[in-house]
Order: sequence, then C-alpha cells, then structure tokens
Amino acid sequence: MTPAPRRPFLQRLGDRAEPWLYSAPALIVIAAVMLVPLVVGISYAFRDVQILNPFSGGFVGLDHFRALAGDKAFRVALVNTFWWTVLTVLIQLLFGLVLALLLDTPFRGRGIAQALVFLPWAVPTFLTGLNWAWLFNPTIGPLPHWLHALGLLAEPSNILSDPNLALWGPITAAVWWGIPFFAITLLAALQSIPSDLYEAAAIDGANPFQRFWSITLPFLAPVIAITVLLRTVWVANFTDLIIVMTGGGPADRTQTVASYIFTQAFKRLDFGYASAISLVLLFLLLAYALLILLLRQRLIDRDK
Amino acid sequence: MATIDIRAVSKAYGGHAPVLTDIDLSIRDGEFIVLVGPSGCGKSTLLRMIAGLEAISAGTIAIGGRVVNDLAPKARDIAMVFQSYALYPHMTVAENMTYSLRLKKTPKATVAEKLEAASRKLGLDAFLARKPKALSGGQRQRVAMGRAIVRAPKAFLFDEPLSNLDARLREQMRAEIRKLHAGLGATSIYVTHDQVEAMTLADRIVAMHGGIIQQVGSPLDLYDRPANLFVAGFIGSPGMNFLPGRWDAGARAVRLKADSVLPVERAIDLPDGSAITVGVRPEHVGLGGEGGLAAAVELVEPTGHGIILHLRLQDQPFKALTTDRRYLTPQESVTVTMPADRLHLFDGNGDRIA
Repeated sequence: MTPAPRRPFLQRLGDRAEPWLYSAPALIVIAAVMLVPLVVGISYAFRDVQILNPFSGGFVGLDHFRALAGDKAFRVALVNTFWWTVLTVLIQLLFGLVLALLLDTPFRGRGIAQALVFLPWAVPTFLTGLNWAWLFNPTIGPLPHWLHALGLLAEPSNILSDPNLALWGPITAAVWWGIPFFAITLLAALQSIPSDLYEAAAIDGANPFQRFWSITLPFLAPVIAITVLLRTVWVANFTDLIIVMTGGGPADRTQTVASYIFTQAFKRLDFGYASAISLVLLFLLLAYALLILLLRQRLIDRDK
Repeated sequence: MATIDIRAVSKAYGGHAPVLTDIDLSIRDGEFIVLVGPSGCGKSTLLRMIAGLEAISAGTIAIGGRVVNDLAPKARDIAMVFQSYALYPHMTVAENMTYSLRLKKTPKATVAEKLEAASRKLGLDAFLARKPKALSGGQRQRVAMGRAIVRAPKAFLFDEPLSNLDARLREQMRAEIRKLHAGLGATSIYVTHDQVEAMTLADRIVAMHGGIIQQVGSPLDLYDRPANLFVAGFIGSPGMNFLPGRWDAGARAVRLKADSVLPVERAIDLPDGSAITVGVRPEHVGLGGEGGLAAAVELVEPTGHGIILHLRLQDQPFKALTTDRRYLTPQESVTVTMPADRLHLFDGNGDRIA
C-alpha cells in the first residue's frame, strides 16, 4: 500500500481554518460584547481607578482586597445580603406557590385574575421602590398606622428609618414585585401535571393534603429548584429597591454587597474598589450556583 | 365484591345536550361487564360516574346495595385502571401498588403480604424497586392492575386499559385480564371502543350510542341478534352489510333495487311496501352460487386466513369474507348469495324485526 500523497500545506491550513472562519463573526461579537468588558472590569479590581483623581489608574495589586478584608461595612453588607436574599426568595416562593395553587382551580374570571397577577412584574422597580417608600412613610402612607393598630409597631413610625427593621422595607417591596415570577412559572408547572394522577389518588383514598404532598410537590420540585437558583442570584444582585428606598441606610443597616458596590462606584466614585467587591460577589454566587448544580445532579441521579 | 345497580341515571353539563340519558343497568356480583361504543357515546362518563369522578345529574347508582351518589371516590371502595395507567411517577412500583394501603395505615406486614401476592400474580417481582418510567408499556399496565388488585375492592373499573398497547401485547393482556377475573371473581366494568375486546372479555356487553344503551346481552346475543342497525353495524369485523329494500307481503320477500327479490322464510307483520333494511354479515355471504346477485369487485384484501372482497352491489358498498383463494386473482364481478336464515331485517326506524 502506498501512503496517500500529502496535500499541500495551504490546502490543509484552509481545511483547518474553515469552521473558524465561518464562526468568526459571531465569535468576534461575543468577545467584544461579553469578554472585553468582563476583562476590563476585572482589571479595575487590581488598579487604582478613581473618577475624580486624574492621576489614578496605576496597578495596585491586591491592595483593594486587603482593604476589603478589614472593611467593617463590607462584612455588615455580607450578612445583610444573606438575610435579604434568603427572606426575599423564600417569601416570594411561598406566596407565589399559594397564588399558583389558587389560580389553578377554576373560578369565574380566572383569565382576568391571571393577567392581573402579572401586573406587579410590569411596574418599573424604581416606581415600586418609591411607592413602597411612601406607603411606609407615616405622614402620607397608611402602613405604619395599620401596623400600629395591629400592635406590631409600638408607634406609627417609619420602619425604613429604624435600624432594626429597615431591611424589611425593601424585602416587602421585593416580595410584592417578585411574586408573579414564581406564580406564573409554578402555575405553568401545575398545569402540566396530568389530572388522572389526582383522580387515581382520590380513588386510592388520598385527601387533598396527601394529594398535594405525594403528587403536586414531587412534580413541582425540579421547577422550584431551578427558579429558586435563578431568583437567588437575581435577588442577591438586585439593588434598585434598596437604593431607592433606603440608599443603604440607616447606618448601613440595609446595605447589601450589591448596593455597597453601587455606593462605592457611583457615590464615592471609586471604581477600582467597587470592582474588587464585584469580583468577590461574583465568586460567591458562582460557588453557590455550583453547589446547587451539584445538588441537582445528585437528585437527578437518585431519581434514575 | 358487590352488585352495582344503576337506576335512571342521566348526565348533562349545564345547558348542553345530555351526555347520558336514562341509563338502567343491573350488574350481578362477580360479573364482567363491557361498555362498548364509539368515542363520545358516554361510556367513559358512565364509568367515571360509578367511580365518583363525575357528579350524577339524575338517578341513583348503588354499589353493594348502598346508594353512592354523594360519596367521595375513596368511600366507594372501587379500584380503577386508567387508559394512561396514571402511575405515580415519583414512586417505585412497590410504592405505587401499596399507596392506597399505606394511606389506610395498614400494618406493614399486611402491606408486604398483599404486595407479594399481587406482584407474584402479575409477574412483577423483579421490578418492584423500579420507577414507572423504567418499565415497558405492558409492565406499566400490569402495575396499574396490581395497584387495583392489592386493595381487594368491591368492583374493578377499567377505562380503555389496553388502548395504549401494541396489537400483540393487547391480545396477551386481554387473555390475562380474563384469567385474572376468573381467579378473583370480582365485579368488573370495562370500557372500550374495541368490539373485539368486548366480545372476548365480556360476560355481558352493554352497547352504547349517543348516551343511550342500545342493547345489553351476551357477546353472542349481540352478534346473532343485534337489536338495531347501530349494534348490527358495530359488532363484528368486517362490519355487517346493509341493503335498502321494500317489504313485499304477497311474495313474503324483500324487494331490492333493480327488481331483485330476497325471499324471507319468516312471517313478518309489516304493511306491504314498507321500508326495510336487510343486513348480512360478510362471513355469511356466499360466492358464486346459483341464482345470486351480480356484484362488481372493487378491491381484494388478503388477511392471511381469509380474503375480504370489497364489492359494489346495487350501488351499495358490500363486503364478503371467504377462505377460497381462487378469489385472490382479480375478477370483474362475482355473484353473491345471502342465505335466508342468515338475514337480519330492520324496519324503517332501524329496529330489528322479529
């Protein structure tokens, strides 16, 4: 057997390059739009970038991270971020699930109700924040007076200015705004459950609660897992309501990591330090996402 | 085990035409009843009303002598096998089969015992730890049956349980259901649109059409003496042939088109000249005999053990079933004869005459 004659070098090069040339336009756009800003942003974390200081821009190595390790406000923000995210997501999930279950049972005007449920989602977050800030303001809003009448508040004061309660303000607004997301996704999942399963369970003797426990919940579990994962990352990064309602105050009691980044970047105009915090937040969320994905994989494997 | 009595039951969804009208049916203890009819005839609705999944608009349903109209499904002590099997996808086979027992807080030892007995009966021992999605269609079907069996209910309800299986498996499961019933002796109601299933499984068939019971009887009753045109056409495959004609009282014969005459040996009390429909099953049609009617051959369908001839007789579609392989070679026309004792006669309303 004679070996196949080697083809000329240029022809082989052309064959190799062909797929890359075809994908080049898309790759270039992706690199320009996604990778370049990311790399530039990350590079800020290691440089001294202050908007008002024309002599800044030099390389400072890990200085920002060293400063961060000793930053008390950052540690407070980390703890706040944890409570803000956990409480917001859990309460949204709970109310969203209840709402989805209600909307899944037929009643007159269900079509309109389903459309109305989506409404908060359509309100700009800036408006939502202003609205709730006013609702919590005792001079124009009714909420403090109602809470006082219910005995939940000692006096009709603004909880947004109470260091111990302030975080509940943005949480309430975020819950109101985010319920539709859970309600709609869970409703879609509910409607995909075959009705004859419920009929079989009814004949088998299961009461409504047992039917919910052994049919509805197992069916919803994967959807709940993925929406909670998404929402957690989303809410952790979500600052609009905090900035609008409290600006992180009083005394940094509502400052989350994300709002701290905003404060550092746009109030103190220290982009370098803000980028360093962003990088930490990015790694925290990546670690969280990885954890959830591993958990999910284990659940799926167990299900096989 | 119990009797089931259905008295003057009707079903209507607010404002619409009734789905079921005035259903009366008494099912004996241990009987295997098949409700058969085309889709939309109300057979599934009737079954779901017995199960308690649909409200009863009028009339009463009694299981074992107790009126169950207002009882929830779980209080009726019945088991149902669904067309889709409706297995709980997150539970193993064993969990699926014992769900009802565990809900009733049955002692663990009893549950295990019943599970073992049922799974052995159905050949499911090897699959108890699997989830439904890891099973074949036939195995899922068995699990659905097993879930019903472990409960030892008063009655079994089957809602087209074999429709999702392929033809061979369906045949096999049909025989198994029959054997299972012989062994358990439980009252069973089985809904199907497949008349072969109805014929092979039933002690008695209930033929339904348009929300009304057309005929109740043993499979051979319905085959030999269909009460009306609907039952005649629905039972049997290929379906019965029908020819329109007029009664000639003087000649004691049916006068068909083109002046051909079919003599009838029975005495019929009908005024001369009244409309009459003659029915004859393809398997009873004679071919090539003396004095027959000429029919054009349109299509020849070999089925292996026989041949179905699609004919056109007096401008009517007409089928004949034969095992004579001479008819495999296409011919332009054949003569058909219809034995007088095999004729079914129906009056102008479509009801059987004598």
